[in-house]
Amino acid sequence: MATEDARYRQSSQYQLWSFSPTRLAAMRDKTNAAARARIAERLSSLPALSNNTSAPTSSANTPNADGSSTPALPEFLTPPEEAQLVTFFTSELLRAGDHAEMSDDIKATAAAFFRRFYVTNSIMTYPPQEMLFVALFFGCKAEGTFVSIAEFGKTFDREHPEDILAGEFLLCQGLRFAIDVKHPFRALRGATMELATLPDIDRNRLAAAEHRAREVLRFSPLITDAYFHYTPSQIMLAALSLADRGLTERLMTQTFHHVAPPPDNSGADTPASSGPDGPAPATKRGPPRGSEDKAQIIGPHIRDQVLGTIEACRNLLARELPERREHWSDRAVLKAQVTPLRKKLSKCRDPDRWNLVELQRVRREQAAKRADSEEADPAPPGAAAANNTAAGDGTVFGDALAPREVKRRRVLDDPFGGPL
Amino acid sequence: MAVSPLVAPATSSPFKRQPSAVPSSNGNGTPRLLQNSNNNNSNNNNRPAPNSNNTLPMTLDPIEQLNEDEKRKYVKGKKLGEGTYANVYLGHARHDPSVLVAIKKIKVQQQYQDGMAPDAVRELKYLRELHHPNIISLVSVFSSKDQNLNLVLEYLPLGDLEMLIRDVDRVRYGAGDIKAWMGMLARAVWFCHDNFVLHRDIKPNNLLIAADGEVKLADFGLARAFADPGRRMTANVITRWYRPPELLFGARHYSGAVDVWSVGMVFAELIIRAPFLAGNTEVEQIALICKQIGTPTEDNWPGVTQLREYTVPTDVVAVWGKEAYMGRFGAVGADGVDLLVKTVALDPKKRITAREMLEHRWWRTDPKPTRKEDLPRKSSGGEEKMAADLKRRPGIVEEEARGAKVARKLDFGQSK
Repeated sequence: MATEDARYRQSSQYQLWSFSPTRLAAMRDKTNAAARARIAERLSSLPALSNNTSAPTSSANTPNADGSSTPALPEFLTPPEEAQLVTFFTSELLRAGDHAEMSDDIKATAAAFFRRFYVTNSIMTYPPQEMLFVALFFGCKAEGTFVSIAEFGKTFDREHPEDILAGEFLLCQGLRFAIDVKHPFRALRGATMELATLPDIDRNRLAAAEHRAREVLRFSPLITDAYFHYTPSQIMLAALSLADRGLTERLMTQTFHHVAPPPDNSGADTPASSGPDGPAPATKRGPPRGSEDKAQIIGPHIRDQVLGTIEACRNLLARELPERREHWSDRAVLKAQVTPLRKKLSKCRDPDRWNLVELQRVRREQAAKRADSEEADPAPPGAAAANNTAAGDGTVFGDALAPREVKRRRVLDDPFGGPL
Repeated sequence: MAVSPLVAPATSSPFKRQPSAVPSSNGNGTPRLLQNSNNNNSNNNNRPAPNSNNTLPMTLDPIEQLNEDEKRKYVKGKKLGEGTYANVYLGHARHDPSVLVAIKKIKVQQQYQDGMAPDAVRELKYLRELHHPNIISLVSVFSSKDQNLNLVLEYLPLGDLEMLIRDVDRVRYGAGDIKAWMGMLARAVWFCHDNFVLHRDIKPNNLLIAADGEVKLADFGLARAFADPGRRMTANVITRWYRPPELLFGARHYSGAVDVWSVGMVFAELIIRAPFLAGNTEVEQIALICKQIGTPTEDNWPGVTQLREYTVPTDVVAVWGKEAYMGRFGAVGADGVDLLVKTVALDPKKRITAREMLEHRWWRTDPKPTRKEDLPRKSSGGEEKMAADLKRRPGIVEEEARGAKVARKLDFGQSK
């Protein structure tokens, strides 16, 4: 229970929602492939001329000239295209949050919800334009702001705000009921306060750095995959580094201040003053001594490792600096990069899942029908698949989509978590 | 019941800088017949429904399949309790019937029209993250078909502390037992605070007991994270008898000290085997605090008179010293009384913190805390009590109308 790191490793953010880039990409590929298969199946099982309100009426679905009822399958979005759209809709979500003057925590939580949801659900399956409002609404609740749906709807000029509720449970399920998101905002305040205690820090410079770093935190980590790959403190330090690299390095030197004791022994030890370009020593240092523990925690070796992680996170954030807000609402950009994808999306979306209100209605109807039989036997018909026993017993929150290996083990011996 | 469960936002934006709202006064309100499926269907039937879709079998997406798998890990058994807020079932793991769980099925609430209710959101959020031997563990979560939330909780068959306190005839316990229970409670509260979570509803019937005697803090339906400095919170939390003076005076900025006061009240109750300060109204509650502990004044609590609802009886009682408690609470010894007095400091800034509680010397003086498996227990009724505790709506026993708070002033004015 002791360290903050041990605590963090118990959080759902770490246990369920932290992945290496490779792992995350693999999950998205899998989600995309599964969605293609299902949508293809559903489209082809649609009655030929069903005037389905939720299905797109496009050339792709019209019967062939010879009158056969097998519709041609549409072209599906690729994983990179999905990612591009998720990013675009995240920017939309943030814009909507700004419009409603929501707090930083709410917007950040909502953005994390939205991106987490679309790791295991395809944007072709559930409508992003709807889900972003669901994420915002539920983000408010998760951050302890309970606003009525009517009021929420008014803010966004929604004619049927109750529709947003139809997606709430779905979102929750997609989040695997883990609704606590840890943010870097408070950490930034803490880092600033710590820097302020140093004797020779220029206050104006510090204030400017905090301001800029906060700007970054409000946008860059939220619209990228930073929350999946890095801890809040790493993200904070990366943002601070983008704002003022010198101050960040100062803070790091201050924190990891342990210096190896005077060289009264083993001349084999090279002092680790090689700087950031010198590779971290691979061999273990001299004989174990009292300061060994300290060196492990606040020594230069760890410092360099952490600096490396921060640098990597910094590079990720730098791809979407706050100035990119305009980019994502720029007409020319939208026309060139987003509109074509949205058009494509409108042709390949899931006919059974696209209308959330309808989906909820059908689900509830099924539930009502099954209500009696369920009391007697909780096994749902058709779900008694043989592979049920395969589910790991110890894996309480389900494991199927995110096997344990994804957890970053290297973090174990590193106070800030190792690079990925 | 017509009152909105929300605190109506007054600022320009409903999302910005709002204190968290608290569920309204239905804790002891009229029971309602819930007819979920019927109502839901009729509500939704006015939407155009594509007919072709209805007949198609709905296959499961991975996300749904995952939920099904989770659900199938447990077998829901007999209903242990039914409430307006939740039903509680006994359950067991499918792979091993000897692993028992309590399944709390949170109902769709008719009076809360805005989706998942605040207490459910809070409970889910915090229980999902807090893992500690003295905090009830959330084993799993799944949704049933009708979109009700099911919380799979550890099975705690020995009831709660309230049950033991009340059964004066059959349950005897001593200082070592109290020390053991208090130790487990203090650790739970420390852990919450160390994770920046305020529980805001500590009381004996939220302290459940596991088969091995371990005390488990339950019911996080009113919990919240520590607020950022300057952000307001609601004062209307914590069941009245356990509510600290700062909340009774309407403080909107507060800390873990509110929970510590409740811990002190539970401590006192364990010793005297009756609620220490059992006011029937907020007015009475304040009067009792003033009489039994002392009247909050600018002298003993700088700034207290600035609190919005600050009103005290006119005859000021000086804060009682440790000696005054010895007669009634002496069973836990001088060190125990010292701890008790520190938990009920009027000024929250001077109140002992959860961490300091754990460092108090009382734990190390004789008698030693009883080993948990040797603690007194009741042989029957535990399961029912657990069910009653879990199905209860969190927190507020009542919510006084604004009028009542105005009346408080008149009341005091007339009595003296």
